Amino acid sequence: MSSLNESKSNGRTWWRSLDEVVATEAFQSKVQDEFPEGSSELLATGDDRRHFLKIMGASMALAGLGVAGCRRWPKENIVPYAHRPQNTMPGIPEQYASCFDFGGFSQGVLVTSNDGRPTKIEGNPEHPDSRGKTDAFTQAAILDLYDPDRSRKVTYDGTDSSLSAFKEWIGAYLPQNGAGVAILAEPSSSPTFERMQRAFKKKNPEAMWVEYAPLMNSNQRSGLDDAFGGNWMPVHDFSKATVVVSLDDNFLGAGPLQVVNTRGWASGRKVNHGSISRVWIAEPGLSVTGANADERSPMNPAAIAAIATYIAKEIAHVDMAIDGTVSLTTEHQTWADKLVADLQKAGKHGLVLAGASQPASVHYLVARINERLGAVGTTVSYRTVNSNQTHTIAELSKAMQNNTIQGVIVLGGNPAFDAPADFKLADAIKALPLSIHLSHNEDETSAVCKWHINAAHWLESWTDGLAADGTVCVGQPLIQPLFDGITSIELLAILAGEEITDGQTLVRATLVGKSADSWNSTWRTAVHDGVIANSAMLEKPPVNRNAKKGGSVVGGNGYTACFIPSDSVWDGRHANNGWLQELPDSITKLTWDNAALVSPKTAEDLGVKQGDMLNVSVGNESVTIAALPVPGTADDVILLPLGYGRAFAGRVCTGAGVNIYPLRTSSNTWAAPAKVSATGDSYPLATTQMHFGVDTTPGKGAQDRLPLLFREATVDHYNANPDFAKHVGHSSHSLSIFEEQQFVGAKYKWGMTFDLSTCTGCNACVAACHAENNIPIVGKDQVLMGREMHWIRIDRYFAFGSDGHGGYDSSNLASVAIQPMTCMHCENAPCEEVCPVAATVHDTDGLNVMIYNRCVGTRYCSNNCPFKVRRFNYFDYFRRDPLRATGLLQVQPDYYVKAQSGGKTLRAMQFNPDVTVRMRGVMEKCTYCTQRIQRVKIATKNAWVKKSDAQKQADQRVAILDGSIVTACEQACPAGAIVFGDLMDPKSRVSKLHNEKRSYEMLEELNIKSRTKYLARLTNPVDSAVTGEGGHH
Amino acid sequence: MTTAPVNKIDNTIEDPENRPQLILNHTEFGTVTTDILRANESAKAPKSWYFALAISFTLMSMLGAMIGYLIFTGVGVWGNNNPVAWGYPIVNFVFWVGIGHAGTLISAILFLFRQKWRTAINRFAEAMTIFAVICAGTFPGIHIGRVWLAYWLFPIPNQMDMWPQFRSPLLWDVFAVGTYFTVSLLFWYLGMVPDLATMRDRATSKVKQLIYGLLSLGWRGSMRHWHRYERAYLLLAALATPLVLSVHSVVSFDFAVSQLPGWHTTIFPPYFVAGAIFSGFAMVMTLAIPARQLWGLKNFITMRHLENMCKVVLFTGSIVGYAYAMEFFIAWYSGEIYESFAFINRAFGPYGWAYWIMVSCNVLTPQIFWFKKARNNIAIIFTASLLVNVGMWFERFVIVVTSLANDFLPSSWGMYEPTWVDVLTFLGSFGLFMTFFLLFIRFLPILAIAELKAIMPIADPHGHGHSYNEMSGETNAQAELAEEDE
Repeated sequence: MSSLNESKSNGRTWWRSLDEVVATEAFQSKVQDEFPEGSSELLATGDDRRHFLKIMGASMALAGLGVAGCRRWPKENIVPYAHRPQNTMPGIPEQYASCFDFGGFSQGVLVTSNDGRPTKIEGNPEHPDSRGKTDAFTQAAILDLYDPDRSRKVTYDGTDSSLSAFKEWIGAYLPQNGAGVAILAEPSSSPTFERMQRAFKKKNPEAMWVEYAPLMNSNQRSGLDDAFGGNWMPVHDFSKATVVVSLDDNFLGAGPLQVVNTRGWASGRKVNHGSISRVWIAEPGLSVTGANADERSPMNPAAIAAIATYIAKEIAHVDMAIDGTVSLTTEHQTWADKLVADLQKAGKHGLVLAGASQPASVHYLVARINERLGAVGTTVSYRTVNSNQTHTIAELSKAMQNNTIQGVIVLGGNPAFDAPADFKLADAIKALPLSIHLSHNEDETSAVCKWHINAAHWLESWTDGLAADGTVCVGQPLIQPLFDGITSIELLAILAGEEITDGQTLVRATLVGKSADSWNSTWRTAVHDGVIANSAMLEKPPVNRNAKKGGSVVGGNGYTACFIPSDSVWDGRHANNGWLQELPDSITKLTWDNAALVSPKTAEDLGVKQGDMLNVSVGNESVTIAALPVPGTADDVILLPLGYGRAFAGRVCTGAGVNIYPLRTSSNTWAAPAKVSATGDSYPLATTQMHFGVDTTPGKGAQDRLPLLFREATVDHYNANPDFAKHVGHSSHSLSIFEEQQFVGAKYKWGMTFDLSTCTGCNACVAACHAENNIPIVGKDQVLMGREMHWIRIDRYFAFGSDGHGGYDSSNLASVAIQPMTCMHCENAPCEEVCPVAATVHDTDGLNVMIYNRCVGTRYCSNNCPFKVRRFNYFDYFRRDPLRATGLLQVQPDYYVKAQSGGKTLRAMQFNPDVTVRMRGVMEKCTYCTQRIQRVKIATKNAWVKKSDAQKQADQRVAILDGSIVTACEQACPAGAIVFGDLMDPKSRVSKLHNEKRSYEMLEELNIKSRTKYLARLTNPVDSAVTGEGGHH
Repeated sequence: MTTAPVNKIDNTIEDPENRPQLILNHTEFGTVTTDILRANESAKAPKSWYFALAISFTLMSMLGAMIGYLIFTGVGVWGNNNPVAWGYPIVNFVFWVGIGHAGTLISAILFLFRQKWRTAINRFAEAMTIFAVICAGTFPGIHIGRVWLAYWLFPIPNQMDMWPQFRSPLLWDVFAVGTYFTVSLLFWYLGMVPDLATMRDRATSKVKQLIYGLLSLGWRGSMRHWHRYERAYLLLAALATPLVLSVHSVVSFDFAVSQLPGWHTTIFPPYFVAGAIFSGFAMVMTLAIPARQLWGLKNFITMRHLENMCKVVLFTGSIVGYAYAMEFFIAWYSGEIYESFAFINRAFGPYGWAYWIMVSCNVLTPQIFWFKKARNNIAIIFTASLLVNVGMWFERFVIVVTSLANDFLPSSWGMYEPTWVDVLTFLGSFGLFMTFFLLFIRFLPILAIAELKAIMPIADPHGHGHSYNEMSGETNAQAELAEEDE
């Protein structure tokens, strides 16, 4: 309801009755009838003949009037509510709290629902990790709900079946006591899942229970078991850390804890008494964390372990050898010495982390170091983790080979694709008489399983889970399952023979007790908030040292292949999500593919440049993958992002990238000694930013201008010269030869800031913008042609040190500049002057607006935009599926045919109804989320109108509360680096930031008066007194 | 078929005592008419004409197919991308507008400057202008994203109460090119009226009589007709003269008014005009050399004409060269990092090859015309004129593409590659141009017959011993002009 929306900035709504909104079948069917787009029958069959004739009839009637029949606007039938459900207003979006599990952590979200369609995901402010923020995966999750390749039915042996048939079958087939049956499940934090697991085990005590996810951090688990005994996991608080040492832990990069980590880190980057936190990182490749670190040293995994043992020795006085480590080079030794000194100075505000790729012993050492620093309780806490795994995946594999097992039940996950290659799990599962797979898509594992059960998306299901600190989260469905899928909880309940298999009842019983009904107030509060308050379970672990499990590291002589998660598709689960496929990698800016990331020197050694194919072989397996040199990568290391090359024939993921899993074995999970050679072939890599070597004219030119565009200084330099950013380059005198009239009478003056100090380049804003603004994906061929449509992009520059001869040294990576870039909403907008049809103009509040239906598409505005943030619809991107077309014809012959085949209706359900879907031939760009501004403005004005005349007199300017308008990018940004607001209000956050000393306007000398300003980046290198040049003179 | 003999008369020698003959081997008016119209009036055109027409027509049809494909699918079939939002279409537009420059210059400015040699080339140069502007006009029309709304660029009163945005140089383009086309067309047609009447009078079939009769607007050659005609011609020449300068200045504003480094340059208007004259004259030579051969016009388009044109090409080519140098100087002198980079990158960046093609074709090639031997060698002239055309196309490519490809923010830099649709569309525009041109030389008077007669010695009633006074009457006004000139 609007009145409730107004009262809360996040617009969440209290329900009067839970049942009315989702629970009853009667209501569900009503919803379906009201919104034919959402009804599963229509989706399953596409537009039927009757519907088609109806539309045709209507169009013919119009055609008689002239050209009207040629119009392209979609026809919709509007059916009024006979009985409008309480608390809903057609056209007014509502938000509901929910959650979903990613990597064993519950991600808290608020989902926007437009007339029953979930359309947008935001962070849940009540959720301890999210605090209203999200990452790119969460933003893109909404698209998975509407994935046209989602599995729509239960199948047995490739033929259509049904859930009831499955229930009947399983009741008869499942062996007594579960002997010879294994459950292969992804690690889950869900209490209900665990409860069902216990119920299953009770009924089937002989069954094996195996947990597997390709990127799960089992090394950490065993390292902490060594240190404390039991199942522990660390919970980090970066906001309290002054010195963070990361041993190949990309804590700011893609991952389940990205949001909470980024927020904590960002708070430490705010200047406090003249200082900011410092991040040290040793890593093989350049990660998001590395790009934002103050002290970074690229090295291979073995050297990182060596650094870990050195720090442990120096600080924790633990002397421990790890198999495979190398002795430190002089350079690394110096670096480590500085690091140790810095860490010791930080004491309990120090924090050491190790990545999943480091062996258990390193995690053990890290725990000891943190303990010694006194960091436990300040920067690091621990909590216990439930794990009911009875066997490892290796044991399962062995059991399959020994034929001691007849059946496997795969609950989510895709082991046939991502399990260690040496297990040959796909073949093994195929040979079993009983195999069941629950999944969203009929993927690689479904292909080898007898039964495939289509899973419900989390937006269609009742779930629960734990946040990083153990806070219990509750997830509710936003929509009836589109294709009648079930959840893993429900499937487990079926397998456990539970009487109740309904998701809501199961979750409610776990969280508030079996006797509670849906009217229970604790339950209702929990569902409303999405979390159960004060349920965190941090504790100080006991010191209970166990026998060392050790582990070994790889590195040293020859090439080392490192397997890393992909920033876009993670372990492969997001491969069929077009937004994520097209999301440029934070560092490489690569879309639609993975590539072998190597250092420029290694590339030179191998004789390859970007796009040249490499043959990487580990043991007997080899893959052929295109090389992509990335400055800052350790020499002789080949980084291979996982998750691409899916065999599953999804419309999006088909043909995207190379499958790395065949190289990944149980003994070499994260790194392996590899043989690498160039094949001589090449492959087009679609990066959104071009690379120019520093010895070329454009490369040098880019380096020359970098200090003007991206202004940064050390915090020491900033303390001495707080306004350093204003003394770089030329500034405009802002003189005008005429009196500027364009903003006379303006009531608001919208503006924005990007804080370069805290922007990590995580892409959350890019994905959020995608979801909010109905931005199309364009496919690899179009990205190759530079036609990606992102309204906001993250520019990434490598700043190189001087070579001493006026040039730049490409082997000396001085810093990585990460700069979000979107329409600056210039007051003197160059785009507006040149548009011949006045399709882009200013409104009085200073928004540079695009009038799509006036635009004829001369593209002159784009040419004249100094930031090149305008995006042109070269094709009708929404009329075709995001398939990749290559070859002579860039537009495939079945260009229009494909658009009609499936997917279109489903995809359209995600559209934000407040934002126009653009057709081909028009220009588009960032609007500062004008629809969100408008919504708040209207609400505020309505409230103002209701005031008494005296109050109106007193309140001439209809004040909009600062922070009540939140752009999609700002709302997503976990670092809080984006701030939007009214510059006319001197007390607004954005006004203050605009006046901050380190604020600067990009290309100010063009006198464009942009409304978006940047806050110069501050770094904190350890030797800043020496390197504190900062800026450009 | 008999034509007047082509004697080896060298009219390129500068003799201060005698004015060189501009029409060779003709002493009488009658043979001039016959010789010029011989190809038009013959029952069958030469085989080569049919051959050329077949090729041109095929190319033109291909252009139509390409445009159809474009409209059905979208601008995406071209190579245009995000930094380089203007690619081939705008390059081709500027190229063709440039070509279309020489005609009006020759017919209007040279007319006002009493350059009598212009009469042999003005008619087909004007035709070339018209056809080139048609080609040019095609591109901005089809290059927009929603072709069906192209009329929004025109100030047409409409129910939306929307006017074009008058600050946009693209709109100025619409006016400049539109005006130029209209005036050029009128000027061309007006000048052709007496010759059309001649063709009507000599027509052998009813159809021809009817068509030429309609076209010649009832021209009877009366003194009053001639008088009105001469005044109108003079007035149109005066009107067209500023347009010669304005059209390409305005086209250059498309670039100069923007703020892109490499575009935002005050030198653009004069530099574009010089470049346009340069490319226009090169195109006139490219067309004249085969046409005089094919149509037997060597007595009218003589070596002296070609030599004069070579001199113009040399002069304008040098201006263009100066402009290239000056751009670099100013870029350096400004101390502006983006501006300097734009020019250094043009020459030494990824599109350096295009820049050096441009420099060698436009600056170095015309320098050969310092030598008289080169100016009198048909093969050299023809090759040079072709190279200049290539160079001028590349000039536009360099300006449009390299500036856009690497502008302010290195993050958005990108390379532009044309697609096959781009290339075929460009080739197709030559088809359109050549089809029109071939039809023109076959069915319309390729030279200004009446005007040519006026520059013959016999047209001068006070000439030394050439008092063919009694024969004239029809070219009084022009004869007077000619006389004043002398």
